[in-house]
Amino acid sequence: MHRFWALLKILLINYFGISIFQMKTSKNRKPYFKKIGLVLLIIVALAPTIALYVKLLVRGFDALAPLGQEGAILTLGIVLVSFIVFLFGIFYIINFFYFADDAQSLLALPLSGYQVLGARFSVVLVNEYLSALPFLLPPLLVYGIKSGASVLYWLYALVGFALVPLLPLGLATIPTVIIMRFANLSRRKDLLKILGGLVVIVLAVGYQFLFQKSGPNAMDTAYLQHLLTDRSGLMNLMSRVFPSTRYLGLALINADQLSGLVNLLVFAGLSLLVVALAWLTGDKLYFKGLVGSTETTVKRKKLSEADYRRAGKGLPPLLSYWAKEMRLLFRTPTYFINSVMTNLLVPVLLTIPFFIQGRNQETTMPWEKLLSEPRGQTIIMAIIVGGIVFIIGSNAVTATSISREGRELYVSKYIPLSYRKQILAKLLSGYLLGMSGAVLMIIAARVLMPLDNYLIAMLVGVTLVAVIPVVEAGLLIDLYNPKLNWENEQQAFKQNFNVIFSMLLAILLGGGIIYIVIRYIHTPVQAALFILLGFGLAALFLYYFLMTWGVRRCHELEG
Amino acid sequence: MIEICRVSKSYNRGQVKAVDDVSLTVQGGEIFGFLGPNGAGKTTLIKMITGILNADRGSIKINGRDIKDSPLEAKMQFGFVPDDPNIFSRLTGIEYLNFMADVYQVSSEIRVERIQKLLERFEMSTAAADLIQSYSHGMKQKIVVIGALLHNPPVWILDEPMTGLDPRSSYDLKEMMREHADAGKTVFFSTHVLEVAEKVCDRLAIINKGRMIFCGSLEEIRTHARENRSLENLFLELTENA
Repeated sequence: MHRFWALLKILLINYFGISIFQMKTSKNRKPYFKKIGLVLLIIVALAPTIALYVKLLVRGFDALAPLGQEGAILTLGIVLVSFIVFLFGIFYIINFFYFADDAQSLLALPLSGYQVLGARFSVVLVNEYLSALPFLLPPLLVYGIKSGASVLYWLYALVGFALVPLLPLGLATIPTVIIMRFANLSRRKDLLKILGGLVVIVLAVGYQFLFQKSGPNAMDTAYLQHLLTDRSGLMNLMSRVFPSTRYLGLALINADQLSGLVNLLVFAGLSLLVVALAWLTGDKLYFKGLVGSTETTVKRKKLSEADYRRAGKGLPPLLSYWAKEMRLLFRTPTYFINSVMTNLLVPVLLTIPFFIQGRNQETTMPWEKLLSEPRGQTIIMAIIVGGIVFIIGSNAVTATSISREGRELYVSKYIPLSYRKQILAKLLSGYLLGMSGAVLMIIAARVLMPLDNYLIAMLVGVTLVAVIPVVEAGLLIDLYNPKLNWENEQQAFKQNFNVIFSMLLAILLGGGIIYIVIRYIHTPVQAALFILLGFGLAALFLYYFLMTWGVRRCHELEG
Repeated sequence: MIEICRVSKSYNRGQVKAVDDVSLTVQGGEIFGFLGPNGAGKTTLIKMITGILNADRGSIKINGRDIKDSPLEAKMQFGFVPDDPNIFSRLTGIEYLNFMADVYQVSSEIRVERIQKLLERFEMSTAAADLIQSYSHGMKQKIVVIGALLHNPPVWILDEPMTGLDPRSSYDLKEMMREHADAGKTVFFSTHVLEVAEKVCDRLAIINKGRMIFCGSLEEIRTHARENRSLENLFLELTENA
C-alpha cells in the first residue's frame, strides 16, 4: 500500500503542476500567483452561469414542493454529475492512462497493475471532484437550506458528494481498459486507440439511450399521472440514466429515517463494487494494454523514384506549413481526441437517440410546429449557430496552436516563413476543422428536424463567417500566454488554461447569439444579417489585431 | 559570411548575462568552431544568429542581411542544425524533408535529386518513409542535417552536430563541412569536443560565461599560450582563468 500512496503523491504533484513545497521555497513566486489568479478569474467568469443554475434550482424547488417532488432537484444534480463524470472520465482515462508519456516509464517500476491503475484512477477522481463541484454543490445546498434539512442530511450530502463520481468513473474505466487491451494488439496502435475511444463513447451513450427507451413512454397519460403524484416519480424518471443515483436521492430526502441510511449504504455498496470491478479488470488488462503501446511500426522500405517524385511535388510555404499542422493534429492521439473528436462527438451524440428510437411522430412533432413559422425558425437557427460557435471554441484548435509547438517553437522562428503566414496557416487549420464540425452539426440538425433547404443554405452561409472570429480569438488567447513548457503532449491540452478561456469565450459568444436573436429578432433573414454583420466586423477587427499585435508577439516569443 | 557586432543577451531582467558584448566575423570558405564549456553561451549566441532569440543589443548579419531588419532574407541564407533533433516526430522523414524544401522554396526537380542523394549519403534511404518517432537519436540528427542542406545554403550553422552520430556518419558530416567550406561557403558550428574542433576548424573562438575570451586560428591560440601543448590544456587554462 505504501507504494500506492507514494505513486499517487507523485502523480498528483505532476498532474496539477503544483508542489506546495516548491511554492514555499521558490524565490520567484510569480508563476504561482499567476496560476491562482487564473483560477480566480475562471471562477468569476463562471459565476453568472452558476447563479443562473441556482436560480433555476430554487424555482424548481418552489414549483415541485406543492407536489411533494422537490427531491427531484437533487436527482437532477446527481444524474447530471454522473453523466458529466462518465463522459469526461472516458476522455481523462484514455489520455491519462494510455497517452501520458510517463505511463511507459512506470512500467519499469516494481508496481502491480492495480496499484498503477488505482493511483491514476484516483488522480482522475480528484479532477472529477473539481468538475462535479459546480454542478452538485448548488442542488445539495438549495435543497438542504430550503427544506431546513437536519444535520444528518448534511452528513449524507457530504458522503454522497464523495461517492457520486465513483460509479460513473468506474463504469467508464471498464470498457476503456478492455478496448484498449485489444487496440494495443494492432500494428497501427495510435489509430486504433483513437477509434477505440470513439467506440467506447458511442457504445456508452447508445446504451444510456437504450436504457431510457426500455422504460415506459413519458407521453403515456397514466405514467404521467404516476410521475406527478408519486413522491419520487420524477426522481425515478431522471435516475433511469444512472439507476443507482436513485438510492442517493432517496437517502438524502429520507435522511432522518432508517430508510435513508439503508439507501445510502446501498448506494455506497454499488459505487464501491463498480470501482472494485474496474480495478480488478485493470489489474488483469491495464499493463497488457500499455506494454509496447508506444512502439511504432517500421517499414524500412526503400522509396522508389516514383515515390520521391510524388512526395516532392511541392507546396507553397504557407500551405506546406498548414499541411504540417494538420498532420500533427491528426496523428497525435491527444490532439486528435481533444480537438478533432470534439467536432465529431457532439453531432454524433445528438443523433444517437434518433437512430435508436427512429423518427416517430413524437420526436418530430414539436420541431415541425416550431419550424412552421418564422419565429421558430429564427430560434432554431440561433440555437444551431450558437451550438456551432460553442463546439469550435471547445475544440481549441487555434487556442492551443502555439502551445502545441512546445519546445519545437524555435523551428517556427528560424525557418524563412513570415509570422504573418504562420498565423494564417494556423487560422486555416482552425477554420477548416471548425467548418467540418459546423457542417456535421448542420447535418445532425437536419437528421433530427425537418429543416428546409432555404434555412440550411442560410445556416451554412452564416456559419462560414461566424467561425472566423472564434478561431481568431482562440489564436489571440494562445499568443498572449502560450503554454510552451510541457513534457508530454497531453499537458499542452489538459493543463492549459487557454483551452478553458477559449471555451468560456465560446459560451459567451454562443450564448450571446442565442440570447440576442431569441430576444430581439423575429425572422431568420434578420438573424442571419445580424450574425453576419456582427461576426463579420469582429472577424475584421481581430484579423487586424492578429496581423499587428499578433505578429509582434510571435517575434517576442522565445520558447 | 556571418558578422556579429557587439551582441549581448541577458536573462532574468539583466541579472544573468548569457552573452556579453560578443563581436565576431566568419568569412566564406572557412569552418569556424565555437568552443566553450556547458552553459558558456554557445547555444544562446547561435539562437540569436538564427533569429530564435532576440538580441538585447548589437547586430547580426548573415551574408549582409540583418537578422533583425530583414529576417526572411537573412534566414534564407543559412541552413540550421539544432542541438536537439527531436522535432516533428509524427511526420515521416520524407514528409519532413519536403516540408523543409517547401519552406526554403526548393523546386521540385532539384529537391527530388538532392533528397535522394543526401539520404543515400547518410544511409537513410530505407528509413525515409517511416515516422521520425521510430528513428534512433543519430538517425534524427541525420534527417535534420539533410533538411538543413536541401536549399544548398551559403551559410551552414550547426549546434553540437556530432552528438549521437555513429563514427561513420560523424566522419561523413566532417567531410561535408569541409566540402561546403571549400566551395566558398561558411560553416559555423559549436562543439565541446576539442578533438573535433582541432581536426576540422580553420578558425575558432572560445567563449566562457558569455564573454568571448579568444578568437583566432589554432596556431594563433597556441602562440597566445606561448607554448605548444594540447588544445585541451589550453582550453582548460583559458576557461579556468577567465
